[in-house]
Amino acid sequence: MELGDYLPRLGDGLLVSLQLTVISVVCGYALGLLLALGVSSANPWVRWPTVTLVEIGRGIPALVVLYIVYYGLPAVGLLFDSFPAAAIGLTVTAAAYSSETIRAGIRSVPAGQREAAQALGLGRATAFGRVILPQGLRSAIPALMGLAVQSFQTTSLAYSISVNELMGQAYQAGAVTFRYLEVYAITGLLYAVIAIPATWLSVHAERRLSRGYLS
Amino acid sequence: MAEALSAVLIGLPLTLLVTAAAFAIGAVGGIPLVLGLRSRHTPVRLVFRFAVDLLRGVPTIVWLFLLYFGLAVGDYRLDSLGAAILGLGVVASAYLAEMYRGGFAVVPKGQREAAQALGLGRTTTFLRVLAPQALRTALPSVTTYLLMLLKDSSLASTVGVLEMTAQATAFSRQNVGTAGLTPFFVAAGVYIAISVPLAIAARVLDARLSRSL
Amino acid sequence: MTESLFTPAGEAATAGVTIANLAKSYGSHLVLDDISVTVRPGGVTALIGPSGSGKSTLLRCVNLLETPDAGTITVGSRTVHAGKKISERDLLALRRQVGMVFQSFNLFPNLSVLQNVVLPQRKVLGRGREEAEARALALLDRVGLKDKAHQHPQRCSGGQQQRIAIVRALALEPRAMLFDEPTSALDPEVGVEVLAVMRELAHDGMTMIVVTHEMQFARDVSDHLVVMADGKIIEEGDPAAIMAEPAQERTRRFLSAVLER
Repeated sequence: MELGDYLPRLGDGLLVSLQLTVISVVCGYALGLLLALGVSSANPWVRWPTVTLVEIGRGIPALVVLYIVYYGLPAVGLLFDSFPAAAIGLTVTAAAYSSETIRAGIRSVPAGQREAAQALGLGRATAFGRVILPQGLRSAIPALMGLAVQSFQTTSLAYSISVNELMGQAYQAGAVTFRYLEVYAITGLLYAVIAIPATWLSVHAERRLSRGYLS
Repeated sequence: MAEALSAVLIGLPLTLLVTAAAFAIGAVGGIPLVLGLRSRHTPVRLVFRFAVDLLRGVPTIVWLFLLYFGLAVGDYRLDSLGAAILGLGVVASAYLAEMYRGGFAVVPKGQREAAQALGLGRTTTFLRVLAPQALRTALPSVTTYLLMLLKDSSLASTVGVLEMTAQATAFSRQNVGTAGLTPFFVAAGVYIAISVPLAIAARVLDARLSRSL
Repeated sequence: MTESLFTPAGEAATAGVTIANLAKSYGSHLVLDDISVTVRPGGVTALIGPSGSGKSTLLRCVNLLETPDAGTITVGSRTVHAGKKISERDLLALRRQVGMVFQSFNLFPNLSVLQNVVLPQRKVLGRGREEAEARALALLDRVGLKDKAHQHPQRCSGGQQQRIAIVRALALEPRAMLFDEPTSALDPEVGVEVLAVMRELAHDGMTMIVVTHEMQFARDVSDHLVVMADGKIIEEGDPAAIMAEPAQERTRRFLSAVLER
């Protein structure tokens, strides 16, 4: 097998990696927002269980999360194919990390904003939904973009549960051709040409947002 | 449960070794990188920027595979432990360099100007005025990265280092039924059990330093 | 002058504010020590005193941004007793009576100038969009900022932002207004624009409590001066009289320190 033979397969793998990224970012961030609301709740019966859940999610290596879903859960009768297993595992990881990012964004909203909303007589839900949350999410955008790049890179772990994403295809191509250096160097570059510009974009977003709402 | 725990714990020393060694490489290796990132000469700065972005842009696992499978100098090849430590360490040096740079970025401009006005040389200004303040600012993100690295050390299992995650996988394969699930939760528990005291220590250190400033 | 846009007419006319035996402490530190102040309907009371004297805390107790430990607050016919659990409904009802302007403006940067004024009207008073927008535009016009309606608040100067903040509060037709050092974050020449609006508001008969360091404003506009120190009222009465001849040594020292600056 020559370069021309396995390169298209790496391309196929990259598409699978991108699918996994989109699924885990969309589902993970939605879940992360819910978790962030739970962590920010004034009710201790909501707050503490959510905090525990988030801390556990952030404390476990993503690889172990994937193993739990793919190798572990069948032991209790939950059997997933490798792609859905990877999607679930990566979503869980993205949710745990994004919830902290979103929470930090909400916390960064100045106290005066909440006070002004209170002084105007806005109810709690209105104050949060119309004043605090929009500002918090806005300031979380650059970090969430950075996290999405990280999610994309983390999809490379899915090869370990037999998903044919980019890393999985590279592993197979390497095993067949024995040209490891070449295969992995190309694979690395494929990840980099997506991850690096995406990171620049998040830095650019941060600069723009730090200029305030003047755009 | 107890069996799974003792199986997983066999991997603990290697997990800690990989984490500590990679962190040491990263902490030291980050210094020349941050100097390059802050160079006065634009070409130097661009080269370092490209290198740091490349190190961070390629997933860690790809670096590990490159070093383990792809790197052969004559007959010499890295063993799995060496490849894991070197790979994680080099990637860490890029991330830590970026954190150091962030620290320098927030040192107020007036600090350098004040040092220059006092007639301090460039080296003294850097070592005695700018660097200590930059490190102080970077400290919380550096300790957070150490915790990240602890979790990333699990990647060493993919090149055959028998650390905790590898031990958990092996135990799971040898046991059927619910016993197959236990070792992963046990491993997860141990990762968290190590993270918590580290996180607390980092917070205490940070609080001490902010008081002393 | 035509009909006043600033102050509500008829039944909802401005109300007096009575603070009786108010006390508050943070831990063992007594911030407000048995404070009683009466502001007649349409009256303007200036609160002055050194920082840490408790004047801002007192102001923030009036609309319950701070919860007092003891005492009562009465706005119009509505009285709140401290120490009892205050329901969310009573809290919102009291806050509807009282508008507040902050030192740091606190406009919502995620909303346009117009939306800053419209959203509270719709959510608090249940006004329809058209009515709320008409009221907002009329008030903005009144303070000379109609052309800023569709801008972001951060595009506006500090003085403009503070005038918008005043409009935002007035749009809810409060029966009294609280001002917490409204000009302290502004350059003097910009502060003048804000003080002019406040003068007009006072002239129109709005009940106002103003925490301020602007001695000229206190003398010219307020009809009652309250001097605080260490959580107590040390002196109160006619502003011009106190400034000309303070009865307390503490007041004299504070006044000369402020005036010398």
